[in-house]
Amino acid sequence: MIKYFFLLILSFPAYYFSQGFQVNLQGQKQQGMGGAGTAFIQDAATVFFNPGGMSFVANSVILGATPTIAKGAFQNANTNEISRTNSPVSYPFAAYGVVGLKDSSQLKFGFGIYTPFGSTVQWENGWTGRFALTRLQLRAIFFQPTISYKITNKIGVGAGFIYASGKVNLQKDIPIIDADGNYASAELNGKAEGYGFNTGIYFTPTKKFAVGLTYRSGIKMAVNNGTATFKVPASVAANFPNGKFTSKLPLPSVTTIGFKYEVNSKLNLALDINYVGWKAYDTLAFDYEVNTTSLLDTKSARSYKNTIAFRSGAQYAISTKLMARLGLAYGITPVQNGYVTPETPDANRINYTAGIGYQISNKFKLDASFLFTHLKRSDTNLETNLSGTFKTNVIAPGFSIGYIF
Amino acid sequence: MNVYKISIYTLLVIVLGCKPKFTKPNLTSGEIDATTFVSLGGSIAAGYSNGGVYYQAQKNSLSNLLATQLQLIGSADFKQPYVAESSIGIGNVNNAPSILSNRTDCQGVVSIGPVKIAAQGDVSIFSTNIFASQGPFNNLSVPDLKVIDADINGYNNPFYVRMASSNSSSILSDAILKKPTFFSLMLGLSDVLNFALKGGTADFVTPVAGSIGVGFDASITNVLNKLTANGAKGIIANIPSIKTMAYFNTIYYNSLKLDNATATSLTNFYAVLSPTIQFNEGNNGFVIEDVNQPLGYRQAVNGELILLNVPLDSIKCNKMGSLIPIPDKYVLTLSEIATIENAITSYNTILKNLANSKKLAFVDVNEFFTKVKAGFVYNGVSVNASFVSGGFYSLDGLNLTPRGNALLANEFINAINSNYQSNIPQLVATSYSGIIFP
Repeated sequence: MIKYFFLLILSFPAYYFSQGFQVNLQGQKQQGMGGAGTAFIQDAATVFFNPGGMSFVANSVILGATPTIAKGAFQNANTNEISRTNSPVSYPFAAYGVVGLKDSSQLKFGFGIYTPFGSTVQWENGWTGRFALTRLQLRAIFFQPTISYKITNKIGVGAGFIYASGKVNLQKDIPIIDADGNYASAELNGKAEGYGFNTGIYFTPTKKFAVGLTYRSGIKMAVNNGTATFKVPASVAANFPNGKFTSKLPLPSVTTIGFKYEVNSKLNLALDINYVGWKAYDTLAFDYEVNTTSLLDTKSARSYKNTIAFRSGAQYAISTKLMARLGLAYGITPVQNGYVTPETPDANRINYTAGIGYQISNKFKLDASFLFTHLKRSDTNLETNLSGTFKTNVIAPGFSIGYIF
Repeated sequence: MNVYKISIYTLLVIVLGCKPKFTKPNLTSGEIDATTFVSLGGSIAAGYSNGGVYYQAQKNSLSNLLATQLQLIGSADFKQPYVAESSIGIGNVNNAPSILSNRTDCQGVVSIGPVKIAAQGDVSIFSTNIFASQGPFNNLSVPDLKVIDADINGYNNPFYVRMASSNSSSILSDAILKKPTFFSLMLGLSDVLNFALKGGTADFVTPVAGSIGVGFDASITNVLNKLTANGAKGIIANIPSIKTMAYFNTIYYNSLKLDNATATSLTNFYAVLSPTIQFNEGNNGFVIEDVNQPLGYRQAVNGELILLNVPLDSIKCNKMGSLIPIPDKYVLTLSEIATIENAITSYNTILKNLANSKKLAFVDVNEFFTKVKAGFVYNGVSVNASFVSGGFYSLDGLNLTPRGNALLANEFINAINSNYQSNIPQLVATSYSGIIFP
């Protein structure tokens, strides 16, 4: 019965984690399987995927990175003009370690450093939406010390504290032109900080079946001491004083239920279902320390909604040393019609993933994964009236190396 | 086996899928033959901006921007009566155009505002007829052109004289000379504006009735009959209310700001002769000339318009508007405004009926200018009718910036597309500048 349920999910476009500005590239094995890993406990990336299952992981470390190439473009619905992004490649990385007194200890300690949010969107010079955005860089590194306890051989619980440190840099043009034909511009730069937690339960009633339940809290990333810099013609410089600003960027909570089913000794199937609390991202506000008639505090509605996402994958053992993985996922966008912006031209998405794993020795394991997704969204933004179609292709090949003590 | 397949598909995805692709829609001209496009209009269509006609303003004229897009559906070269690129240009009182610059007022306060770039415009522009060297022209729009003057032979407007095909030609006859297949007609504003710009003290509002050359109805019907005689299609624009324009909305009837002491002393000053004139702390109606008053002055009331050319230094330093009434030529009173607005309403009805009966495209410029006055956001840029900061009106407060012209041209394009089933793309209006800041 369970077997058929899994096959059904895999044969349809499966549902995957929707993104907003979120990146979900925390483990190569999991990424190869569409991002599912809450109930399929394989390596130290479980620190992120399910602290409850961490006590089932061997003492080990794993280190990985996923260069992400995103090519975006926009076609203006009224003018047919096409603009493209020149976004640089971003490098999400993840490092995890799990230790216990013994490999079989009930109590295990873990540590994770990973980058679940972040990207740089850079639009080409002079593009249509330049007065909405020219460049946005978001970076967040999460540090997660974690503790996990294996209550019995069938059930484990765990919790981690998250300290998040981030940077935001937003640039856009201002529609004031000087005698040389250059537009004025604004740059908002700041460091952000936030705190949260990651908890989970892992339960494997039979050898073949496992279920995991996790809750990662939302995190309010607060920019308390940002710097606003304006390049404007001299005659209006007094209207745009350089100075401090504050802002907040809420990162959503994620509640996940995950399943694993071992079809036979070679084939494993996994499914994660996420409920993502994007509703927290209601408004993007910038509060400037010094206001003028031209520089008012801004409040832009984002009105994200909570979403559900499904991610599923299969792992097949070609030999004792070689694993092949495939995944498919579908995510519903949190961005409602009328609120699509050039920062995150988000859309419902299908993620196609694949991966391989190779065991070099008893100690060393290599894993690689590949993700492709295509986004397409047509909208007229209610705030800027920018109207057209955004398309984005994302390619993310990843690689990790694991060492078992 | 599986690994090979995966690798091959992966490679294919990388090679083929990386850069998002769009297909540009095929452009169709619908029922239009855009080959020869001719534009008839006034200052905005001619390329008058910042108080004058100059090369860059002509490049960004409403007519030329519209022609640029019509060229995408097969329109031929659009000839405009360009002035030399090096010329400073000239305005309708031989003045030089303005730029935004620092200036010092009577109180020694420095602020940015429109400053004429020279004591006089380039009058040599009017000394040579350029028809032989540059004509015949597609843009037959002429600053200050009234409907009643469009078919006057030997029309004596220096902007027309320099481009006329002969001493005895009319603007309309020169337009017909081009054998237009498609035209734009944006006339009628000057029929009220010249009166409005003089505060109702000179010139006149063109009457609706009367023969060709006298009345609006007969004159505009004549223009359209001749333009469409050979089956040309076109677009008619209506006339915006003058209340939408920066020129009449920058200085308010009650912009006289007083402290308590000054208000009291002014009230006392007027108490004997004109006890109805009273002042309070804060904003007060200006004292204005009004020949219909027994003493020839009164306080301005809500709805009355102070013109942009009112001498601000006299207001700030020489008691104009308080002890000395603002001269009539700088003020439109309620009755003058009613005369103007009633005429515009009548003209617009005639224009709409003509568009309907001749099945021409109709662009509601009045509605669009009203939308500008309320303010809107275009691709992240706020557009409104505020003087200088609004980005729509040029430094003369009446004519438009390049961005304003592009936004207006897009309204024309929408109307053309919906009437003629064409799909001419709009202009990227953010690529056109607003006011240039020093």
